[in-house]
Amino acid sequence: MSISRNIFRVTLGLFVGGLVSAFLGYWFAEGALREKVAETRVRQGTIRAMALADLVFAEQSRAEKEKTAPGALIQFWQQRHNDVDAVRVMRLSGARLLASSFNDDLENGTPPRRLKRSEKEIYDLGQLLRANVDTNREEGNPREPEVISEELRNGRLRVSVPWFTAKNPEKAAGYVQLEVSPTITTRELAFWPVLVLALVPAFLFFIGSLILSRLVKLEHPESVLWSAMTTSVLLMIFCLLGFGNYYLIDLGQENVRFQQELAQLYTASRTSAEEGAAEFALDYETTYTNDWDVNAYRQPLRYISFDGELYIGVGTAQDTVANRLGMAFFGCSLLAIGLLVFFGLGGAARFWHIIVDYREAYIYTLPAMTGMLVLVFFPFGYGILLSFTDQTLYNTEKPLLDIWAGLNNYIEIIGDFNLIQTTEAGWSFNYQNFYWTLFITVAWTVVNVSIGVTIGLILALLLNNKNLRFKALYRGLLILPWATPNYVTALIWKGLFNREYGPINHTIQLFGGEPVAWFDSVFTSFLTGITVNGWLSFPFMMVICLGGLQSISSDMYEAARLDGANRWQQFRYITLPSLKPTLIPAVILSVVWTFNMFNVIYLVSGGEPGGSNEILITKAYKLAFQDYRYGYSAAYSTVIFLILLIYGVFQTKVSRAMESNA
Amino acid sequence: MIQNRIKRLMVLCVLACCMSAPLAATELVVWHAYRGAEKEAFQAVCDQFSAQSDGVTVKTLAVPYDAYADKITAAVPRGKGPDVFIFAQDRLGGWIEAGNTVEPIDFYVDDEMRERFLDNTLDALTYRDIIYGLPLNFKCIALIYNKKMIDSPPKTSAELVALAKKHTNAEAGRYGLAYAYADFFFHAALMNGFNGGVFAPGPRPTLNRPENVKSVELILKWSKQDGILPAEPSNALITSLFNKGKAAMIFNGPWFLGEIDPSVDYALAPLPALDEAGGNPMKPWMTIEGVYVAAPSENKDAAFDLVNYLTGAEAGKVMALKGRQLPANKAVYQLEEVKKDPIMQAFVTQSKVAVPMPNLAEMSMFWSPATTAMNTIIRGTATPKDALDKAQVQVEKAVAKLRKQ
Repeated sequence: MSISRNIFRVTLGLFVGGLVSAFLGYWFAEGALREKVAETRVRQGTIRAMALADLVFAEQSRAEKEKTAPGALIQFWQQRHNDVDAVRVMRLSGARLLASSFNDDLENGTPPRRLKRSEKEIYDLGQLLRANVDTNREEGNPREPEVISEELRNGRLRVSVPWFTAKNPEKAAGYVQLEVSPTITTRELAFWPVLVLALVPAFLFFIGSLILSRLVKLEHPESVLWSAMTTSVLLMIFCLLGFGNYYLIDLGQENVRFQQELAQLYTASRTSAEEGAAEFALDYETTYTNDWDVNAYRQPLRYISFDGELYIGVGTAQDTVANRLGMAFFGCSLLAIGLLVFFGLGGAARFWHIIVDYREAYIYTLPAMTGMLVLVFFPFGYGILLSFTDQTLYNTEKPLLDIWAGLNNYIEIIGDFNLIQTTEAGWSFNYQNFYWTLFITVAWTVVNVSIGVTIGLILALLLNNKNLRFKALYRGLLILPWATPNYVTALIWKGLFNREYGPINHTIQLFGGEPVAWFDSVFTSFLTGITVNGWLSFPFMMVICLGGLQSISSDMYEAARLDGANRWQQFRYITLPSLKPTLIPAVILSVVWTFNMFNVIYLVSGGEPGGSNEILITKAYKLAFQDYRYGYSAAYSTVIFLILLIYGVFQTKVSRAMESNA
Repeated sequence: MIQNRIKRLMVLCVLACCMSAPLAATELVVWHAYRGAEKEAFQAVCDQFSAQSDGVTVKTLAVPYDAYADKITAAVPRGKGPDVFIFAQDRLGGWIEAGNTVEPIDFYVDDEMRERFLDNTLDALTYRDIIYGLPLNFKCIALIYNKKMIDSPPKTSAELVALAKKHTNAEAGRYGLAYAYADFFFHAALMNGFNGGVFAPGPRPTLNRPENVKSVELILKWSKQDGILPAEPSNALITSLFNKGKAAMIFNGPWFLGEIDPSVDYALAPLPALDEAGGNPMKPWMTIEGVYVAAPSENKDAAFDLVNYLTGAEAGKVMALKGRQLPANKAVYQLEEVKKDPIMQAFVTQSKVAVPMPNLAEMSMFWSPATTAMNTIIRGTATPKDALDKAQVQVEKAVAKLRKQ
């Protein structure tokens, strides 16, 4: 045996790690290139469209008498620019198509004309752009796109930008739509680095080990594992660095080329716009800023100056590519090294053996695992992912990466210590604060579980009396609150607590008391929740305790009595310890249930007054479906999960310790 | 043998295709949440449309109200929804912002169509100046009074207070006026009467504007100084007071009429004008049921024809007479049968000054702070200004966080 098994493992690890990360990295790099190309294509279309929109603006702002339909203008524009395939100018007022060279439009009648009923989409786009411009202006921050572009199946691009008139320069009067065949050319990304990363480290390592094993004879070949691992990891990192840098530099250079092409295109548009203005005697002068190269919100990008100079250097161009791609490469590298370690240290081999040895068991559990994956783990993972974004009602259509917020949501939740508000009138608690809600939730859980256990235990002790008649009847009656759906119970209790008609207040008045407005103060409102949940939770505890009590042998009590123990001593030293194994799991469960008892809070007090009695789970619900902050609410839910997780781990440890003591 | 079977199968398939061809005519699915007489009237109208139009049939589906909004939110954007659906305007803004739910129909709506609806009702279904639906029915509150106690309904707030004082005896549990004034939906009548409001312009919350404060102060005067209002104005209390003849006048909407005891002889009138607001009429909030075309629908053209028909005069007549609803189509109120109906006439008069409730998604953030503010004001633990300021801060925060980018 010249080569140890370890060397094989490490070589395999290098190969698998290299292969996976190489393909992933290539996929990311290609995605980044495609994204850049798409962005550049849109910018090309936007420059052409914005320039024409300026001309249309000048043309339509002329005095009423001189105004003509911009048909000749778009013809001119199309002739001057080979990449422009068709143009459409639409005016919202009167739903008119002012000019068009789209075939579909011409078939429906020569513009200028009113839009036909079948041309609703043309009109809707205009309204959308107009509304987006209005919204962005009113809210003072760009939120809705003002340049709308769409890639067509035939490789062309459709770009629409609003145009304005001098009379009302803030209100979009219509839009200019261009169908362009962008001239940006791209080349395929080189594939050889993928092969290099997949094969070279593994090959080098293997050959090196081979040579080394010939040169040096080791007594214990297994002992080289750690040095082999170190070498291979270093080798891997070196290759990954080369791989990543190759693509980053390559893409950066490609980006600079795109910018240069765009700059030329911009200069050409500028010249023809000036000529067009002269030809049609328009009152229009090109500005000394580049206002045509804009992003989706019509904000100038400022990469290209008005005279076609690039403001963006190679370094910056690379940075714009490198930001996300670099992160992706970093992730790939971690994965590669992870795989290498997993294989190299024998984890993969062990994993494989387990799967093979217990294959029947895995096949049998496969349906359940799939179900869990789809129904539990996927939503769970998605929720956690969502918690790192800023998703709200207004940006649900955006990809999650675009609204990535990192840990912001968590910082906002956990880092907000603004628990006490001070006003001129004095101080008060800030009920919207996370820690207040957490405090209420913990208080709610502790009080509820204690009440449930106490009442349940007392009732179980009473029912366990052998001389009691009609025991089954009492037991049945006492289980009823548990058997009724809890929202029905909750709504009934809400009625009972009514200030005006509630029987509870009637009873208070009967004894000469003042009726209580239960939901108006923090404490009484809290009491209502406790009462309802106590009512709902004692039957479960009672049943559990009853089962536990019945399993205690009567011999023990007899022996205790012979020893002269009194009732309390019997309870303290026999009943309670015997109940412990049944009670503890029930308490653990009950804590989790109560912690997330949505129905009672939501239906009875609704968190009144002023959200002070909200528990974490109802708060998360309100954040999502009342404030529409989905990302924030997801973070809230994740925090709840973490709290329960910590509780669970802690609880298991404690109960294990108690078991081993017993 | 097998080939034979395949052939037979193919023949069957072809036959099936041929048979189903005439059935494959456009079928429009409509979702609504009507029950009882309203449902029957709506079904009748849809059947009329199916009978009139060539090759278009309408299938209605009544969805239980509690689940209705969520069903639309979940199903429609994924293309699993109906072609047309009906809902009040309060959820419209949220659906539009979420996208791919409600189709803009601005393009189809011509001036003639705009003209046929009661004032303001079309505004309720307009978002960012784009029309998204046509108004079907409206609901708003009006003055309902017990004829045994009130001979002629008050025209101004001074008359209202004077009349109400006459019929108030708090110790005997009798009140001249009763309505859920702590509920902002009802309070809006006063607030709008003072030209107040909760959002303006656009989605900017303005809960604490001086007009709103004045309107709340007037409520305080009525309940504390004049003592014409019961202390805890819950809906159940108002129903029982009116049915027992212990409340002379109430403010309530058409949904309340079914709860009135048959022994009570009642009549309706528009809400009185506010002397305190320079003689402005009280302007209650109006909810408008809109008919919308679902954005993913494949038959938008036909769907709009149905929307157009449902909101036309012919359909309005059936819904008014058979369903006892309040159509938003003006022409309905010119019909002899409807003209004779004092209840409908009262509501339509009221609608002329009513203000559509905002259709912004942000409305859901407003209710809870506003309710808390009203409760603290009425309990006397905060002044109107302070309570509204506090609510304003809360709503402002929530809106800012939602609309930041």
